[in-house]
Amino acid sequence: MSKNILITGVSRGLGLAVANAVIAVGWTVYGVSRTSSPEFAALASQAPERVKFLAFDLADADGVAQGIFGADFAGLQVPLHGFVNNAASAYDDLVSNLDLERLQAMYAVNVFAPMVATKHFIRNALLHGQGGSIVHVSSISAHTGYKGLAMYASAKGALEAFSKNTAREWGERGIRSNCVVPGFMETAMSGSLSDEQRKRIYSRTALKVPASLESVAATVVFLLGEGASSITGQNLFVDSGTI
Amino acid sequence: MKSSPSLLSVVNQVLANKRRPAVAALAPDTRLREELGFDSLDLAELTVRLEEAFGVDIFAAGVVGTAGEIEARLPPERK
Repeated sequence: MSKNILITGVSRGLGLAVANAVIAVGWTVYGVSRTSSPEFAALASQAPERVKFLAFDLADADGVAQGIFGADFAGLQVPLHGFVNNAASAYDDLVSNLDLERLQAMYAVNVFAPMVATKHFIRNALLHGQGGSIVHVSSISAHTGYKGLAMYASAKGALEAFSKNTAREWGERGIRSNCVVPGFMETAMSGSLSDEQRKRIYSRTALKVPASLESVAATVVFLLGEGASSITGQNLFVDSGTI
Repeated sequence: MKSSPSLLSVVNQVLANKRRPAVAALAPDTRLREELGFDSLDLAELTVRLEEAFGVDIFAAGVVGTAGEIEARLPPERK
């Protein structure tokens, strides 16, 4: 069966890898991102009928309902089968330097907008009665702890708790919710790390390498599909075996 | 009071999804939870179906309990 999958942060990094994997299995992407990218445009030109795009900044958590779930994009007229909450904004600093405004801006993108989007995804699924699969992209930092990532990791921890409870609340309507917990990947998100920091992080994994985008993307697609129909409320670690 | 046939049909759609028998009519004081057996998830589904039909979120202004309270929140031309 074909599926309509809403993906945030779709233009680059993991979001783009997920979009590629979704198109490869024959489903349709409703992609959201602040701006497009040459790579996303290339994907769209491969399968124009199955790639939709909306330029939207999730910093505007208030605008999610009208912007993303309005009649012009992924409104109630489109049966949505999956929601991949992938977009995230980084905020790295020591806790002793915590700046409330930056913290709130990061929470708007990483927590509030995804929670509002989950509300509307569930409403869509209720109307169409076909269930649905929500996949939040969390982070290994929520589990291991890294210097400088306390604020960012706290937002991912919030998502994991939200996912677990969403799963419990909506399971009887066939709506599943899971988190993928990637280890450090080579994306723009970890671009500010020095080579020394990278080496130290990778040496703390069993595989001694970064988590691969393709492996994380394949896990997301697995959780969206029928093969994962009995999996909900879980955190799946795709982290090169972080110790 | 005459119930809006559309509200009735939406209520019956939610009942049908739960494999419960349809009701013939709604009185203003018909209580969705106590009399029709709606649980919170059924009310959420009803909200979405009414929003699709009428463009109004019936829970946006607080909790509703009876058919009459719902009708009061639907657009005037429906009443």
